[in-house]
Amino acid sequence: MPNQDVLIIGAGLAGQRAALAAAQAGATVGIISKVHPVRSHSVAAAGGINAALNPEDTWESHAFDTVKGSDYLGDQDAIEVMCREAPGEILWLEHAGVTFHRNETGHLGTRAFGGASAARTYYVADITGHAILHVLYEQLMKHSTQVDSYEEWFTTDLLQDDDGRCIGAICRNLRDGHLEVFNAKAVILATGGCGQAYKPTTNGLIVTGDGIAQAYRIGAKLMDMEMVQYHPTTLAGNGLLITEGARGEGAWLLNAEGDRFMERYAPNKLELASRDVVSRAEQTEINEGHGFPDGTVALDITKVPRRRTLEALREIVNIGRDFAGVDITREPIHIRPGQHYIMGGVKTDVDGQTTIPGLYAAGEVACVSVHGGNRLGANSLLDTLIFGRRSGEHSAARAIQTSMPATPATRVADAERYIAAIINRDGGGRRVAAIKHELGETMNQYAAVFRDAEGLATAHEIIRRLKEEAPRATVDDRGSVFNQDVIGAIELGYMLDCAEAIVIAAEERKESRGAQFRTDFPKRNDDVWLKHIDVTVNGADVPEVSYSPVTITKWEPQERTY
Amino acid sequence: MPAYTLRIRRFDPQSGEAPHWDEHTVEMPETQSVLDAILKVRDEVDGSVGIRCSCQQAICGSCGVRMNGKPGLACNTHLGEAAERGHGVGWNPPEEGQVAPVIAVEPMGNMPVIRDLIVDMDAVHWKKIRRVTPWLVNQQPVPEREYIVPHENMVDVTQTMACIQCGACVSDCLAMEVDPLFVGPAALAKAYRFVGDPRDAQHRERLQDLAEDEHGIYDCTHCFNCIDACPKGVDPMSQIMRLRRRAGSDYEIEDRNNGYRHEHAFVNNIRRNGLLHEADLLPDSYGGKFNPRAVPELIGALPTAMTALRRGKMTPKTALGHPHKAPAEVKRIFEKVEGRSGRVELNLYVTGYEDEPEATGGGQRETATAAEPNAQGRPESVGAGERQPAAESLDADAVASETGTTEGETR
Amino acid sequence: MRVAYWPGCVSRGFTPELHGSMAKVAPLLDIELIELDRAACCGAGVIAEHNQELADTLNARTFALAQRTDGELMMNICSTCQGAQSECQERLDANTEYRERVNQNLADEGLRYEKGLTNKNFLWLLVEEIGLEALRARVKRPLSNLRVGPFYGCYIVRPVDRLGIDSERPRDRYLHWVIEALGGTVIDYAGVYKCCGFPIITMNKQASLAQAGRHLGDALDAQADCLVVPCPLCHLNLDMQQPGAAKVVGRDLGMPVLHLPQLVGLALGLSPKELGMTKHIVKPTSVIDWSTAVVAGTDDTAVGARRVA
Repeated sequence: MPNQDVLIIGAGLAGQRAALAAAQAGATVGIISKVHPVRSHSVAAAGGINAALNPEDTWESHAFDTVKGSDYLGDQDAIEVMCREAPGEILWLEHAGVTFHRNETGHLGTRAFGGASAARTYYVADITGHAILHVLYEQLMKHSTQVDSYEEWFTTDLLQDDDGRCIGAICRNLRDGHLEVFNAKAVILATGGCGQAYKPTTNGLIVTGDGIAQAYRIGAKLMDMEMVQYHPTTLAGNGLLITEGARGEGAWLLNAEGDRFMERYAPNKLELASRDVVSRAEQTEINEGHGFPDGTVALDITKVPRRRTLEALREIVNIGRDFAGVDITREPIHIRPGQHYIMGGVKTDVDGQTTIPGLYAAGEVACVSVHGGNRLGANSLLDTLIFGRRSGEHSAARAIQTSMPATPATRVADAERYIAAIINRDGGGRRVAAIKHELGETMNQYAAVFRDAEGLATAHEIIRRLKEEAPRATVDDRGSVFNQDVIGAIELGYMLDCAEAIVIAAEERKESRGAQFRTDFPKRNDDVWLKHIDVTVNGADVPEVSYSPVTITKWEPQERTY
Repeated sequence: MPAYTLRIRRFDPQSGEAPHWDEHTVEMPETQSVLDAILKVRDEVDGSVGIRCSCQQAICGSCGVRMNGKPGLACNTHLGEAAERGHGVGWNPPEEGQVAPVIAVEPMGNMPVIRDLIVDMDAVHWKKIRRVTPWLVNQQPVPEREYIVPHENMVDVTQTMACIQCGACVSDCLAMEVDPLFVGPAALAKAYRFVGDPRDAQHRERLQDLAEDEHGIYDCTHCFNCIDACPKGVDPMSQIMRLRRRAGSDYEIEDRNNGYRHEHAFVNNIRRNGLLHEADLLPDSYGGKFNPRAVPELIGALPTAMTALRRGKMTPKTALGHPHKAPAEVKRIFEKVEGRSGRVELNLYVTGYEDEPEATGGGQRETATAAEPNAQGRPESVGAGERQPAAESLDADAVASETGTTEGETR
Repeated sequence: MRVAYWPGCVSRGFTPELHGSMAKVAPLLDIELIELDRAACCGAGVIAEHNQELADTLNARTFALAQRTDGELMMNICSTCQGAQSECQERLDANTEYRERVNQNLADEGLRYEKGLTNKNFLWLLVEEIGLEALRARVKRPLSNLRVGPFYGCYIVRPVDRLGIDSERPRDRYLHWVIEALGGTVIDYAGVYKCCGFPIITMNKQASLAQAGRHLGDALDAQADCLVVPCPLCHLNLDMQQPGAAKVVGRDLGMPVLHLPQLVGLALGLSPKELGMTKHIVKPTSVIDWSTAVVAGTDDTAVGARRVA
């Protein structure tokens, strides 16, 4: 029974950064991940990471761009913290070994990115997330005496004491199926988003909303769940991501008539308007019949010098070739908006504390809220690192003042019974994949770029039905060594919880702001809706909605144009 | 829609059964991936098929497997491509009467299998990665802001940084197959990621460590399997060669494995002779004929040498003398290129190919022009022309020595 | 056809029977060899490992010498030369600036390499230029009942992109095809595409010979009468070092290893002795017996019978 000051669940950027920070602050640390840490989905982040590090740039400018990008739903105190601490974080990464690309003087180079008033995106070709994740893992190997890493362990339950304080977790070792209690003075969730609730999505198969749902189930507040980002450039069919870096390097968007339509939607920023604006523009073009027959528009990367593309956009050259059969250096590639990110998540303060004592959250699982209604490209890596580190530091400090909790042994027996019940299901239900597929298509149809009351109600109805079907879904694998089938069945439940929260919040917000565009309420309405929507669930699995205020420090809401 | 016979290697340690093949027929477009097919089976037929996977876009590195005998990622290998491997490009000829081409998916090699297509990466791959001090040891003092580093340098190490730790190169490493302790392609590529990084303070220490290790950089057999296996263009073997170059030429590290001596003996042999004189190479690689290290090797080689002499494979002349004449021009090239202060390396990963990838080794169809008469011909320039081998010389030794006495420098 | 012929070093050193057998086989296939006897060693990857530009210059020089002849293309008889030269050529052809730099190194000699040389191993030439039908037509003594294990050598099958191997040009099946065209029986065994171990013979002899021994043993288990190699360096480890390899793997091997021109020559009617087979360290008894039996017109299943016995 491992005991740690700080237990971190999830080992992507936020989790690993939290682990290193907590260890540095003197805490004993355990980090658990259902996959090997370098498989975490942070690895797929491509374009870069924002910071006002250039002497000519200011953190205030970065903060304002972020506030505007959020459509004024972001909490400005949190945004200030993130933008102010960004330059130091970039330098920390650089010193840790991230191979950031340089400019001609050998200093850190930058590229332009959407919604930003300066070129402040630092990058490693178009594998920035991958490079940072692998460097953090290098650091984790370096600090292996201070951080215990539990790789390929799946968390089944968050533990609470009688006062509701989070005191650890029960996890299943995928290698042999045995369950173990991890006691901890503080638990940090760093499990990422819930993109797999959508189909298609740019997110990997492991992005199933585990942490969001686990926190939600023990009573934590979720916030901004209606704010789901559709990335403007994803491949038709499989939904793979084409990095915003392509447009940052100069690529154009063209409709089927060859018209550079962004001139009409965002005359100043064009392709580099914020993602919600670009995605909506594309979807409008497609809906109005100006798209290609496969429901796409074109991204023309041939505008970027070929040599530069091969050097700085190598990954999407490969993606184009391997997954679309297109040489992007020679011809435009067909793209469309696709689910990519959830701005919402477990509500936290700027130190990562959720509404459950002892439980922290950082990264996409969390909602601080620095992204509000729409996240700017290259702010997500920053979010994971800044709030990962802050959670690690804060939880370590908290741990010093706390005694090690103990977990009643009956909890393991409960968890074992729960797993056994899934494994021993007698069949006859729908297949897990079939339910998941229906959920994904439902969300992509009704809770996407454009939404309305009727569609959201339909979606909610379907989700309620799927929630009834899920506990009877068929499980084939009866073994305990790498039983991925049983994990899939549990994850399905998590995705359904996340999806329901998304739909409820989207139904609730009767206005259009950021990523939420209600065709039945097409205007932003600051008088009524300049506030966060929170969702909680009570013991009877009935979601409840409440509100919390948006923190405004310097920047009063204005009309938003690009 | 094309149909494929998907054959999946199954193994469940709890079942008490030996590994076996499961067969499914899947109908899918040829541009769908092998992973798509496996997931279709898992989603629709048998949820117990074990495979690690996540991103489906060749970046998370989870789904390394062998497909028709070749290692790679299931997610970026098209069904058509995988099946074609069974139609001639090596490894797995199609079976007679098979309507749907076979795609056999197995776990990677050189690592123990845990379950179905899932191997124990920790026991092999990650252990080796940890062997090479896989983190930056900072040049001191650490600057207040960033290290100032040439752009080209960071692009260059991005090649090894691009490794996704999928294990495909480890799977089919032929040196590891006979020497499981070999540090191996992935870990050595990781080592280059630091040796090639100007911010690292321990280049010499790292190189010394890996040169002295008898399972280190000199244990690679140049088999190129890792280059073909790598889905990300990391070219692990090329990185190993760069480590050797740095160790042998920049730091002059004389290792106990004869790596340095072999390289230098070889290069000097060619510098001296223009062509390789094998009889010198062996003793020189061990430090020279009279080096104590060389003596047991030479004595060990004696019976073979005696057989060779007896059978006429070697004559005392070819074995001990130097029948080839090295043109002075070759020596001049050595002086010219090695006389320069810096070394030039062209890394195609960084520079790319001009226009379309060009023909090499006659490998591309564009070289069809070469089949035209005289397509290779160029105007005669200064210097002697080439001669034909003596057609009348029926004795192979005679051919060899005959050709050795052409114009050029006499030793 | 006339070809600029690069025999490599080892074929004129430790495996003289390779160069000799090629010289005898060429006229039987109407190949005129214009020997590049002033060219230098390809570097076998070792010079490139030491100094890339040096290796590229040496090979550019060889290519330039080849381009100065009136040969239709350049031909080599060594997988290692093919691989090492293809690697250099890939760089030279990919980048004009670099090619110019290397050509500067050759300027003193009045030589210049122009992009786009065709350089083929004898194996590739057999299939792509001469053709399997034409080869079959020239066979005088089909290798009936001779069980031949192909051993390609790494440098001629990998990396596939650099070597231009794909489904249209499955060059990694050519040795199989040639054995069949000569009337022999192809033996597939685990070592067909593996490494002979030669490159590390001086650095890790144990591992090197373990590789050679394993492949020889696998071929033996698959009941091959002999192996055929298009690479003299493989021949060194598989034949010359075979006694040592046998010790490392702890079993009797006695597996004859033929050079590709020897196998071709055998089918075209030359005798084992003419082809220099008697010079091998491992006496190719099975092949000689086969040849004797065929020439004598006795039962041509003799080999199979002997093998099983």
